[in-house]
Amino acid sequence: MNKPANRLSRRRFLRSSALALGAVNLAPSGVLAIGGSPGANGRFVVGHIGVGGMGMTHVFNMLRFQQEGKVRIAAVCDADDNRLEAAVNNAGAGVIPYRDYRYVLERKDIDAVLIATPDHWHAVQTVHACESGKHVYVEKPASVTVREGQAMVAAARANHKAVQVGAQARTAKGGWQTCRAIRNGIVGKVSRVSCWHYANPVDDKPVPDSPPPEGLDWDLWLGPLPWRPHNQRYQPANFRWLLESGGGQIRDRGAHQFSTILWCMDADHQTSFTVSATGRAPAKGLWDCPIDMDVVYEFNNPDWTLEWGQPGDKVGQTEFGNAFWGERGRLILEWEGGYRPANPEAINFKLPPGGQEVYRTDEYEDFNMNHKADWFKSIREGHLRPAVDIEIGHRTATLCNLGNLAYVLGRKLVWDGQKQEVVGDPEANRFLNRPQRYPYVL
Amino acid sequence: MNANTNEAASLAEFITRIQSPDDAISGPAWQGAQIYGPAAIQPLADMMGSGDFEVARKAKRALYIITRHAGRPGAADEARAAESALISALRRNQATVRREALWMLSEIGGDRAVRPMAALLTDEEAREDARAALMRLPGKRATAALRAAFRAAPEPFKYALADALRKRGAQVEGYPTRKLTPSKQTTVTPVVQRLPAS
Repeated sequence: MNKPANRLSRRRFLRSSALALGAVNLAPSGVLAIGGSPGANGRFVVGHIGVGGMGMTHVFNMLRFQQEGKVRIAAVCDADDNRLEAAVNNAGAGVIPYRDYRYVLERKDIDAVLIATPDHWHAVQTVHACESGKHVYVEKPASVTVREGQAMVAAARANHKAVQVGAQARTAKGGWQTCRAIRNGIVGKVSRVSCWHYANPVDDKPVPDSPPPEGLDWDLWLGPLPWRPHNQRYQPANFRWLLESGGGQIRDRGAHQFSTILWCMDADHQTSFTVSATGRAPAKGLWDCPIDMDVVYEFNNPDWTLEWGQPGDKVGQTEFGNAFWGERGRLILEWEGGYRPANPEAINFKLPPGGQEVYRTDEYEDFNMNHKADWFKSIREGHLRPAVDIEIGHRTATLCNLGNLAYVLGRKLVWDGQKQEVVGDPEANRFLNRPQRYPYVL
Repeated sequence: MNANTNEAASLAEFITRIQSPDDAISGPAWQGAQIYGPAAIQPLADMMGSGDFEVARKAKRALYIITRHAGRPGAADEARAAESALISALRRNQATVRREALWMLSEIGGDRAVRPMAALLTDEEAREDARAALMRLPGKRATAALRAAFRAAPEPFKYALADALRKRGAQVEGYPTRKLTPSKQTTVTPVVQRLPAS
């Protein structure tokens, strides 16, 4: 199995990889050699696709980069005119608003896009963006099916684009401190990692279908999903509680936690595992994600177990988090909203003699800014492999998606990471792909 | 009572419980639907046409549970029975029922399901779901059905069918993808255009 380099030697690894690519010329910071981006003074021209909650965070981040002369915001886009109006007011003069993201992708002046649409759009828009010559920052989870994730990786590689998935803990200080501590034996060999998280909400006020609100393009909001009438309980943020779109907390926060856990465990290469899941379905309402859930992943060689619990075993103080259980105790990584510092043990941890440092981009204290800086850096330096490269994002999303699939099918799945299929279960393998509604197709 | 009568009574009770306004009764009923197997598919499809949207939704969820349970490894007979019942559901009057039956067949359907699913490629309300659902079925028969539909389809739908065929490895002349063709305009204007005239 390929084990991606993710140590201090990463720079040396990435430089040698970039040289091996042939078509990529390393260039001084601030000037990009890869065709299409960026322009004068190494400034990136960006467009935003999806400007709701997290999307507006990205806009504000880019405004700060713009003030620093590193970026120019050229476009904002949303299927909801109300959100679009708010975004264009915040983004300021010179920014063109669009409803249809394909207008953004047509623009030759735009180098990169930031995608913060609902999950069911991530893959299609990322693939289209890469095919249109844009680098991509896409929100987590990367994808809602395995085949989508594969398509995203293929599109990034074929079009030589840097695709960063928005699981910021891999560039945040707290995640980094935890990672270097775990990798260098703070609790010894880790045999189990447990996650706790509060429950998914219940739609206890279901309503019949109704016309979409003024300004919302329902066809565009649905995009790749099969057609159905609008219902107030779908959106804006409630897509999170439907398995077909948001996939619940395991695909939302789980994408963050699993990404960080795989990093800490140096397990990005451990793509094969078994997964079993149980959950308590809501009795009524539009939202179908399980209220409570327990998912267990078993990895071999090295052997360890990953547990997702809603509510799980809350061994920390915050709303969600995880614990690494090792030979010599446990280390907790707590999460609170977007960010929380690592625990003091990890902060104060000193590398042992012969210990291995862990690389991370460290340009901004703000973890959102820093993650985007890491993405820009991967483009400027030419290696196109940011910290949460799409391959890593795809592997993380696969964990989340197969957890949900094990719950839906009510049986244990054996996942062959090399062949990218479920062993001995043809029905489960049909779920690896969900054909999209035309023309919103991969 | 004999076994068949017991079974019928049990199924009737299940159908009654799903329709209960008490979530404590209807919830466990639909969530445990797999024990009733394919025999419950037709009455549940009837219920999907119910005027009560929550009852219809619970019936749909029960159908998916039955379908997915029938599709488990080692249950070929049950899968076949479910497939037959779902094929019947493709002929229902309600478009919602036809569309959901297509997606359920996309999960467990085999060659037998291809022709009845493909028949809905001419159904304006369900044809896009039929197209996508057929894309999930392995084998040459589904590809052939899509090809046949492509030859006869109205012009706008040919683009979608061409996409499906290409994704299944077939060659198609003309009808290039429209996936990157923008079509929707906003009424929101850039900030600069709203500055008052001096």
